[in-house]
Amino acid sequence: MKSIATPTRILEIEGLSARYGHVEALRPVDLHVDEGELVAVLGPNGAGKSTLMNAIMGLVPTQGQVKFRGRAVPRRAPAAAAGLGIVLVPEGRGIFAPMTVAENLELGAYLLNDKHEYARRTARVLAMFPRLKERLAQTAGSLSGGEQQMLAVGRALMSEPKILLLDEPSLGLAPRIIDEILQKLGELNRQGLSIILVEQKAPLVLKLANRAYLLSVGSIAAEIDPRTIKSHDELVQYYLG
Amino acid sequence: MAQFRFTSGLLLAGAVALSGTSGARAQDAYKIGMSAGLTGYAATVDRAWRDGVEVAIAAVNAAGGVDGRKLELVVEDNRSEPQEAVTAYRKMLSSDKVQVFASGCVSAGNFAAAPLVVRAETPMVLCSILPQQPDHVKWAFTTIPQPRFEVETRLEYIQKKTQIKKIGVLHDPSPYANAQKAAAEKEAKDYGLEIVGVEQYKTDDADLSVQIQKMYAAGARALIKIGLGGTTLTAAKNIKQLDLDMIMLTSLEDIAVFRPVAEVLGDKFFFVASPSQVYDEIESSPLKTEIGKFLTPWRAKYKDRDPNWAGRGWDAVMLIAAAAGKAKSVEGPKVRDALESMDNFQGTTGIYHMSATNHQGITENPLLLATITGGQVKVVK
Amino acid sequence: MNSFNTIWANGRGNLATWLLWGLAAVFVVYTFASGGYLIAVLQFALIYTVLVTGLNIFMGFTGQVSFGHNAFAAIGGYSSAVLTATYGWEPLPAGLVGLAGALLCALVIGYPVLRLRGHYLAMATLAIGLIVYEVAVQWQSVTQGYMGISGIAPIGIGRFTITSDRGLLVFLMIAAALALLSAAGIRRSRLGRAFVAAAGSEDAARALGIDVARYKLIAFMISAAYAAIAGSLFAHAVGFVSPEVFGLPMVVMSFTMLYVGGIGTIAGPALGAIIISVLPESFRTFKDYQDLAYGAALIVILIYAPRGLASLPELWARWRRRSA
Repeated sequence: MKSIATPTRILEIEGLSARYGHVEALRPVDLHVDEGELVAVLGPNGAGKSTLMNAIMGLVPTQGQVKFRGRAVPRRAPAAAAGLGIVLVPEGRGIFAPMTVAENLELGAYLLNDKHEYARRTARVLAMFPRLKERLAQTAGSLSGGEQQMLAVGRALMSEPKILLLDEPSLGLAPRIIDEILQKLGELNRQGLSIILVEQKAPLVLKLANRAYLLSVGSIAAEIDPRTIKSHDELVQYYLG
Repeated sequence: MAQFRFTSGLLLAGAVALSGTSGARAQDAYKIGMSAGLTGYAATVDRAWRDGVEVAIAAVNAAGGVDGRKLELVVEDNRSEPQEAVTAYRKMLSSDKVQVFASGCVSAGNFAAAPLVVRAETPMVLCSILPQQPDHVKWAFTTIPQPRFEVETRLEYIQKKTQIKKIGVLHDPSPYANAQKAAAEKEAKDYGLEIVGVEQYKTDDADLSVQIQKMYAAGARALIKIGLGGTTLTAAKNIKQLDLDMIMLTSLEDIAVFRPVAEVLGDKFFFVASPSQVYDEIESSPLKTEIGKFLTPWRAKYKDRDPNWAGRGWDAVMLIAAAAGKAKSVEGPKVRDALESMDNFQGTTGIYHMSATNHQGITENPLLLATITGGQVKVVK
Repeated sequence: MNSFNTIWANGRGNLATWLLWGLAAVFVVYTFASGGYLIAVLQFALIYTVLVTGLNIFMGFTGQVSFGHNAFAAIGGYSSAVLTATYGWEPLPAGLVGLAGALLCALVIGYPVLRLRGHYLAMATLAIGLIVYEVAVQWQSVTQGYMGISGIAPIGIGRFTITSDRGLLVFLMIAAALALLSAAGIRRSRLGRAFVAAAGSEDAARALGIDVARYKLIAFMISAAYAAIAGSLFAHAVGFVSPEVFGLPMVVMSFTMLYVGGIGTIAGPALGAIIISVLPESFRTFKDYQDLAYGAALIVILIYAPRGLASLPELWARWRRRSA
């Protein structure tokens, strides 16, 4: 099947829906991400943002299509999606608490079996998050929330993803830490990494995003240009439809 | 604090273990060890066995003991598990310096420990069946009547007292039940009977109607039920519910278990009884005299508790005492040799004819068939 | 020694560590020297160490639940028993057949079962244990049912057999040590990290490209192999197997050892196996109250060291910090 997608599209999603048993958690969704874009997915609690991320990864049963650089991503095969370079930093970070920081990073590059390349990537991640360097031998469970989020992002970077999906990285963190993390994400994006950033706290990410989708009750309500949103109130208008 | 408490607990435990292994030993006692399933599936049988052994030891000691020595009993619970039995036997051999065993009915436990007992040259008189290995059997003796006796008593009744020609066998998977089943299959034709069905059940089965109905449909009008416990009542209820024209004859068991069964099936229910269970019914004989010796202290202590398994425990002690007395020694090999010469020894279950080739001494069928009518146990003549 | 560092995370070299190992060493040396029945107790403890180490790989490292590992011990034990006692094989090839049988069984059963989660997985594994038990009871032509198989030769190769109690004890110590070291090696390897990742969060692990279902299956098979080896060791050490040997009490026992020793740690299975084996013996003099004392001791341990005895050094270090 030949794709008609424009060559600059890194991710194109058509009619992607997901259901848990009889409950339709995500109504058919269309969205796309261009190479080098940072796309925000906004929406209130329960709008289906996490389901959308899990659906893209193939962690939940889905219908519809996900295309990566014009090629269909196999469904229900998160390992295959990860192999293509689609990597998710899940909600709640999903770090492996009983393992050390170093072991967590190693797991990020699980598909890699090359010591030199591994060392190079580790150095790169530690340069980006120097605080992790001091904590390498500590168990991940003993880190602070902010450090855990840095570890989760660092671990995802270990696989050198082509597109990074982040599910509510600000959850439970102090504003100062959130700023720091968002700043790192902006940096990564400027280096050319495509990113989908899921957030409930919209104002935080609108400064950063090239485009934004508004998700409400399991489907896309609107696609918005962040530059046109001037106030919080205006966004609330969108939420309420 | 937790660490202190824990480590001091460990030290204490260690100290207890040490003192347990090096305690003082009475020089003049003859130590009898018992590995018994006081908990677990064998508890009913083995507790009765233990109590019978205790009553017998008290009786022997009251009469002056054996060869000038008092008998002393060491009991270890094997939880009806082979692994626990191995530990229990080893503990009794090495820590308690037990000189002879009178162990309970957990056959797997006795089998598992047999190599140890043989290596220690310690004879054992068992409640269970004998081990399989010939070199193990050399040191093991049993008080259990041959499995075929229980079957023959029932087949004989069916042949002589009923018109029934077709029978069914319902058994649990225990070794003793399997041995009875094999005997029934082998001997039925000698009694002019045909086995039209053999069915197995598990001891925790709550319904046996499928097995029973199958055999009934094949023409069975008598059910030989082999196995202990609540399944006997289950089978009776199933026969009654299905309204089958069928008699049931069950294997040896605590008579207390049979009373509710008799209420369900009435005169269609028969069971195999050992002589001690029907003591008041049997005529005067050396057997009755021996049972009387046992039942007097037993009834004084336990009232009308069933004497069947306890009676065999009594026999085990009396066999050991007689053998040690005859050998004028409590050394393992000598007592073993003497046990092998216990011919024509009157026990409460029957007459033991031990020999070099026969360590299961009861060679003549001592068992009777009985019913319960009007709450009274009656021997079927 | 990386993994030991994580186990004794904050407690390396402190008094509790030394006391714990010191007590274990004193007990082993005392048992070895005295030669009493405690040798048998220790032999069983070492066999259980192998079994529980395997269980720990599946339950501790990989975060799954199995009530059915007695099945694999039974496969190992019966293979050794039947092939050596009935067909006159050498213990080693017989044990290897048992090992292969357990691996095959784990593969066939694990493939569908490991797709289940939580309670369903636990129930399915429980069923495996019950089924194998029933087979051992019913397949009388091979297993001899409840009669069991006796006369199993002691362990050995060719003309060299281990017949003395102390020799067997040393052999089992080596076997248990190898089990622990291999488990430590697994935990440190790529494979081990995948196991722990699957235990932490299946979704997160899958999102990183780790084929969780596959690693759960591998962990299940590896732990089944340990159980099969333990079963073979039991058959040769005791010289007898019967269905009851591999019944539910074995499951209860191995769970108790795993949790008391410290689930997910390396040393936990050994500590748990030794303590749980020795504890009831220390209370044997209590007669009818033995079970009561034993139960009370277990509760005390689990209250004060909820993560098992292997966590004691860590608790000790924390207590020192607090009181300092």
